[in-house]
Amino acid sequence: MKYNYVEKAIQVTRREFVALIGIAAAILWSGAYAVTDVVQDRNKYIKMRTMGLYKDDEKSTIRQSHHNKSLMDMYAKLAGKPLSPMAEELFHTTYIDRTKLA
Amino acid sequence: MGEIIIKSYQEHELNGIIQIDANVCKGCDSCKSFCPANAIDGAYGAVHHIDSTKCLQCGQCLVNCPFGSIKDTEDPLAEVIKKLDDPNITVVATIAPAVRVALGEEFGMEPGTLVTKQMYGALKKAGFKIMDVNFAADNTIMEEGTELIAKIEHYILGIPSEHEMGPLPQFTSCCPAWVRYMELYHPNLKDHLSSAKSPQGMAGPVVKIYGATEIWHTEPEKIYVVGVYPCTAKKLEASRPEFTAAANYWKKKGHTATYQDTDVVLTTRDLARLLKQKEIDLRMVEPATEQDNPMAEYTGAGTIFGVTGGVMEAALRTAYFVITGEELANLNLTPVRGLATVKEAEVSMKLKETEKEIVLKVAVVHGTKNIEPLLKQIENGTSPYHFVEVMNCPGGCVNGGGQPINPMGTSWLGTAKAILPWS
Amino acid sequence: MAQFDDQAVVLKHGLGTRVFHWGLVLGFLPTASTGIALWLRPFSGAGMHTVMQIHIIGAWVLSLACIYFFLFQYKRVVSFWREIFTWTKNDVEWMKVQGGYPQKIFLGKIVPVPAMRKMNSGQKMLGIIVFFGVILIAVSGWILYAALPAVPKEIAFYADKMHLILGLFITFCVVFGHIILGIYNWKEFVCMFGDGTMQVSEAAHHNALWVNEDIEVVKKG
Repeated sequence: MKYNYVEKAIQVTRREFVALIGIAAAILWSGAYAVTDVVQDRNKYIKMRTMGLYKDDEKSTIRQSHHNKSLMDMYAKLAGKPLSPMAEELFHTTYIDRTKLA
Repeated sequence: MGEIIIKSYQEHELNGIIQIDANVCKGCDSCKSFCPANAIDGAYGAVHHIDSTKCLQCGQCLVNCPFGSIKDTEDPLAEVIKKLDDPNITVVATIAPAVRVALGEEFGMEPGTLVTKQMYGALKKAGFKIMDVNFAADNTIMEEGTELIAKIEHYILGIPSEHEMGPLPQFTSCCPAWVRYMELYHPNLKDHLSSAKSPQGMAGPVVKIYGATEIWHTEPEKIYVVGVYPCTAKKLEASRPEFTAAANYWKKKGHTATYQDTDVVLTTRDLARLLKQKEIDLRMVEPATEQDNPMAEYTGAGTIFGVTGGVMEAALRTAYFVITGEELANLNLTPVRGLATVKEAEVSMKLKETEKEIVLKVAVVHGTKNIEPLLKQIENGTSPYHFVEVMNCPGGCVNGGGQPINPMGTSWLGTAKAILPWS
Repeated sequence: MAQFDDQAVVLKHGLGTRVFHWGLVLGFLPTASTGIALWLRPFSGAGMHTVMQIHIIGAWVLSLACIYFFLFQYKRVVSFWREIFTWTKNDVEWMKVQGGYPQKIFLGKIVPVPAMRKMNSGQKMLGIIVFFGVILIAVSGWILYAALPAVPKEIAFYADKMHLILGLFITFCVVFGHIILGIYNWKEFVCMFGDGTMQVSEAAHHNALWVNEDIEVVKKG
C-alpha cells in the first residue's frame, strides 16, 4: 500500500461548513415537521365526521329518545311498551356460540 | 389429533364479504395492524389472505389498505336497481346516522358535511321511500335502556324483575362486528350482550309491519328494505337467519312468505355508486325534508349513534330521565366523547320519589381489541361497570368499513407501529 | 506539472471511500435484485417473505453506509458534490463523443477525448442520479418499512410508486452503465476494490486535469 502521490486536501471553510450544517438541519427539520404534521392529522377526517353528527344533535329541537313522538306512536299502535311481549318478539334477539357451529 | 374446523357462520349468512386481491396486495402488513380478530394470514412481503372463519367482516383492513387491494365483494347494486324499476315493489331505504356526514365525500365535499336533506332528495329521486335509522336508534334506546334499568332494579336495588335477563355489566349490541367477536371469541360472556337488536335489526320489522300498515299502506311482501350503512358487517348482520321477525309476525296472521327483515345492505360507498350510475349528483339534487314522514323523525340522541360514546350518551339521557324523573341538566356528556380508546364516566342518579342515590359506572370502548382488559375484569369478577358501549371501528361508525375511503387519513389511533415488520 | 516517473503511484481512493463503496455494493446488489423480485412477485408465500427479508437487510446496509459516509467522511461528500455540479465546455465535448467508449468498443476506433478531472462527465451524470436517487429511495423505503400504518394511505401509496420507479431507474443505470463500464476499465476496478492506488501514468490517461492540478507528493514525517 505504498504510494507517492495523494489528492490535495479538500478545503471546507468554516462558513461553508456552517452553511452545510444549516442546510442539512433545515431539510431534516422540515421533513420531520411535514411528516409529523401529516401523521398527527391522520384521524382528522374521523373528527370532522364526528363533529357533523354532534352538530346534528345540537341543532335538534328534541334530543332525547323518549321524546320521539313518532316512536311513541309506533309503540302505541304496535309494540305497546319497551320489553312488552310484542317488543321482545320484534326488537329482541338471542346470541349463539359460534365455536359450536358444525 | 383431528383438526376441529370451526365454521363460525350460520347457514345463509354472508361469509366472505371482505377479500384481499392477490394481484394487488404487497404484503406490507398494514391490514394486520387494524384487524381486531387477527384474521389475516401472510408473512411480511408475501400476499396476504383473510381467514373468513376468524374475520368479523368489519372492513377496517379495507379502508386502511394504502394500495386498495381489499374489496367488498357483496355488490347488490344490480338487484336494488331491478327492485327500484319494479312498479309493484315499494323500496324503502333505511339510512344510518353516519352516512349523512360522509356521503358528501364521494361527491367532492369535506368530511363531516351534513347532507341529510340532499341524501333524502337523492334517494327519493332514485325511487326510494325513506326510513331514517335514527328513528330505529331511538327505538333501540327505549328497548336497551329499559332493559338496563330492569337489571339495575333487579341487581342493585333489589327489585326483582319479571323479565329474563342477563348479568351486569350490560354490553351494547348494535355493532355486528362486536357481536360476532363475542359470539366467536368469548361465547362464555355473550349473555352480557343486551338482548336488544341493533337499530338495523329493529328497522326492518318496523318498516315491514308498522310501515306496511300505517305509512305506506302496502303488502309486507311487496316491501323491499335496503339498508344504507357505513358498515360492511351490516351486510352480514342482515343475513342472520333469525332476523325474520316481520315474516314471523305476518305468518301468525295468515301470510306464508319468508323473507329477511332487511333484504339487502348498501354501504355508503355502494350508495354513492348507485346514485352516480343513475346520474344523480348529490350536490345538485333537489333536497327533501321528509318532515311529514313519521319514519324520518328522530332525536339528537338517535343521530349520535354513529360516533364512539354516542350510544352511551343517548342511553344515559333516557336512563337518567326514567330513573330520576328529571331530564339531565346538561345533555352533552363530554366524558364519553373523544378518541381515547377506553373512556369512563360516572353518573349519579337520585331515584325518583326516594332519597336513594345510585352511581352508574359506564365505559365506552372503540377498536374491539381494546375491550379485552374489561372482559378479563368480568371473568375475574372485578368489573366496576354497569354498562359498556363497544364499537368495533376506531372513532365509531363514522369510520366504518363501508364509509368513503379518505386517502390522507387512517384509523390508526396508536402512537407507535403495532407490529414489527419482521414477522 | 512535473514529469511523473513510470513507477509513480497515486492514492486515488482513500480507505473511507472504498469502505463506503463496499457498503454500496453489498447493500445495493441484494436490495436491487430482491426489489425486482418484489415488483414482479415470481415466488409464492414463504419465498416472497425471504425475498423481503433480504431486501431489508440490504437496505439497512445501504442506509448505514450512507449515514457513515455523510457523518465521518463529510469532506468527501463535499468534494463529490462540487465535482458533480462542475460542468465545463470539456464536459459538453466529452458528452458529444460519449467519452470515446462506443467508438472504441464497437468500432475499434480511438477518438480524441477532452481532458477530465477526477470524475468524467458520464460519472458526474450518474453521480447526480445516484446522490438524489438513493436519498429518495431510502426515505420512501423507510416510510414503507417503519412508518406504516401511522402514515396516511396516500403517502404510503406515492412512497411505494416513487420507490419502485426510482429503484428501477437507478438499477438500470448502475447495472447497465456503472458496473459494465467499471469492469471494462479494469485498472479502475482493481483500484477501487483493492488498495485504492493506481499508477500515475494510468490516471493521467483518464483524469489528466486531476493528475496535473489536484494531486501532490506525499509529505514525509
